[in-house]
Amino acid sequence: MSFVEFQGVSKSFGDTIAVEKLNIAIEKGEFFSLLGPSGCGKSTTLRMLAGFLPPSTGRISVHGRDITRLPPEARGIGIVFQNYAIFPHMNVFDNIAFGLVERGEQKTEIARKVDAALEQVGLSGYGGRFERELSGGQKQRVALARVLVIEPEILLLDEPLSALDKKMREEMKFWIKDIQNSIGITTIYVTHDQSEALTMSDRIAVMSNGRLLQVGSPREIYEQPSSRFIAEFIGESNLLDVRVTSVNGVSCEVDLGGSLTVPARCSKQVKLSPDERVSLLLRPEMLRLAPMDAQEAPRLKGRIADSVYQGALRRYRVIAGEHDFVVEVPNRPELAQLSSGDQVDVFWSTESGVVVP
Amino acid sequence: MGRASPLRLNWLLVVPLIIFFVIFFVIPVGLIFATSFNPQTIGQVSVTTDLTLDNYVRFFTRSSYLQAAGRSVMLAAIVSAVTLFVAYPMAFVIAKTEHPGRNTFLMILVLAAMQLDMVIRLYGMMVILGDNGLVNQMLIALGLTGPDDPVQFMYNFLGVVLGLVQFSLPFMILTLIGVIAGIDPSLEEAARSLGASRSRAFRRVILPASMPGILSGSLLVFALSISSYIVPALMGGFRVGVLPIHIFQQVAEGARFQFGATIAVILFLISAGAVAIYLHIGARRSGGLA
Repeated sequence: MSFVEFQGVSKSFGDTIAVEKLNIAIEKGEFFSLLGPSGCGKSTTLRMLAGFLPPSTGRISVHGRDITRLPPEARGIGIVFQNYAIFPHMNVFDNIAFGLVERGEQKTEIARKVDAALEQVGLSGYGGRFERELSGGQKQRVALARVLVIEPEILLLDEPLSALDKKMREEMKFWIKDIQNSIGITTIYVTHDQSEALTMSDRIAVMSNGRLLQVGSPREIYEQPSSRFIAEFIGESNLLDVRVTSVNGVSCEVDLGGSLTVPARCSKQVKLSPDERVSLLLRPEMLRLAPMDAQEAPRLKGRIADSVYQGALRRYRVIAGEHDFVVEVPNRPELAQLSSGDQVDVFWSTESGVVVP
Repeated sequence: MGRASPLRLNWLLVVPLIIFFVIFFVIPVGLIFATSFNPQTIGQVSVTTDLTLDNYVRFFTRSSYLQAAGRSVMLAAIVSAVTLFVAYPMAFVIAKTEHPGRNTFLMILVLAAMQLDMVIRLYGMMVILGDNGLVNQMLIALGLTGPDDPVQFMYNFLGVVLGLVQFSLPFMILTLIGVIAGIDPSLEEAARSLGASRSRAFRRVILPASMPGILSGSLLVFALSISSYIVPALMGGFRVGVLPIHIFQQVAEGARFQFGATIAVILFLISAGAVAIYLHIGARRSGGLA
C-alpha cells in the first residue's frame, strides 16, 4: 500500500466537474508533482488532500488511514500557499510558532524550535519582522519554516514559486529540493510550470480537464509522453503527422509521407496497429543538421526558413516538404552557421523519434 | 511649450473640495471656536474681540455639564460596542456569501435601513417600543410583565441606545464587510492546517485581521452617536441629557450662543480625542509602521 492514496476521487462544483475519478498512489518520501494548465484540477486535488474541500466521491488515505472526512487540523499535513498566507498581524516568530502554540507546547520549547526553524531557512534574526518587511523569497522561507516546524507527515506546495521573479525562482527551486532531500518529507508540489516539475520531481502526474493523463518520472514524461497534449505541454516539440506501417514490440516504422519510411520508438503502454494515424515526436534538441555519427542517416531534405541566435543555441526553422521543424543546435565553432534559404539535411537517431498516439 | 506638471494638475482637482471644506467646515467651526471665548451675552450672535475663559470655567465647575459629558462618552461607547456585537456576524455572513443573488439580497436588506429619514425610522421604533408597543404587548401576552407595568424602552437611556444602534448598524456593517471580504481566505486555511480548529482560527487569525474594520467602524459609530441630537431628543424625550441636547437647549431655548458654542467645542474635542486614541491603537497594532 502506498503512503498517500487517492481512490476514485471526484469533485464537482454544481455542474462543473473539477476532478474526475482520480487514482493516485504516492510513496513515502517522494517528491511528487501535479502538473497541468490552470483549471486542470491540480489545485482542487491538493485542497482535497489538505482537507479544505470535501471530495464529492471517493476516498483519500494516508498510511492506510482514511482521512476523507477529517478536518484540516487533524490531518498533520502542512501546506505552503501561492501567496504564502503569512499572518499579517503577527511577526515572523509568532507566525512560525503558530502551530506549536496550537499543539500546546511549552514556551521555552517553542522558542527553541522556532529559532532552529529560522536557522534552517536562513532567516536567523528575522523573528521580529512583519510580513510587509519581507521580500517575496523571505516570505516563502517563513511560510516553509512555519510548516516544517510542526513536523508534518506530508508537505503540500501550491505553486510556491509563481509569485517570485525568474532569478529568485531558479534559486528557490534548488533550495526547496535540498530541504526536501535533507528531511526526506513526502512532498506534493502543484505547478503549471513544466520546467519546475521536471527539475524537482521524483515523479510527475500530468492533469488536464480534471483527469489524470500520465504518471511517471520526469524522463518518462518528457521522452515518452502518452499523448500529443503532454508532448506539447512539456518542453518544446515537433509533432509530425505520420502513419504506422509496421509494429514490432517497442520499435516500429512510420510513414512520413512522400514514400519515406523511418524507424521509431513506441511506448510499451500504447498498443499500435498498422495503418494507424499517429504523431512522431521529435524534440528540437534531438535533431541535427549535420550527422553526429555513422548510424545517423539523413531522414529528410529541407530548407532553412528562419535562423535565430540565442546565445547557447541557434534555433532554426526548417521546412521539409509538408513538415515544419524547429531544430536547436548548440553554438559551437566547428558547426557551420546556416542562414535562411540554405538547403539542409535533417538527421535524428532512431531512438529519439517517439510515436505518440 | 512647457507641459503641465501632473502633480500640479492633481492639485487642481482638489480645489473644489478645498473651497467647499473651507466655506462649510473651517469657517463655521472657527467661528464657533471664537464665539466660545466671548463673554456670555444673551441673544448676541456675532463674534467680538472681547476674550474670556468664563464659559469654560462655568462648564468645568458645574457637575451637571460634567455629568452630561460623561454620559455622552458612555452612551457613544456602549452604542459602539453593542453595534459591533450585532453587526459583526451579519457582516461576516454577507462577506462570506459567494452566491451573488443571496449577497445582493442581504446588501439590500442592510441598505434599506438607510433609505428612510431618521425621524421617520424613529417614529417606527416608537410604535414597536412604546408602552403599548408591539414588544410590550408581546411581553404582556406571554405573562412576562403585568399589563399595568410595561417595560420602559422609551424616554430613557435604553431607548437612546436602541435608537442609536439601529441608526449605526448599516455604517458598521458596511465598514466591516469591506475589511472581512478583503481577508485572504488562505489565512484561515493556513491556520487550520497548522492545527487550529475553526473557532481557534477565527480567534487567532480572522478576528485580528478584521481589527482595522472593527476600529474604524467603532470610531465612525462613536462619532455618529456622540454628536447625535435627533435620537436622544426623540428616543430619550429630552430626559437623557447628553451634550447635543444641552447645546440645543442653550442655543435654541436660552439664546446663549456663547455657552452653546463652548459645549460644542468640548464635544468636538472629545471626538477628536477618540480619533487620536484610535490612530494610536491602529499604529501600535501595525507594529508602529502604519
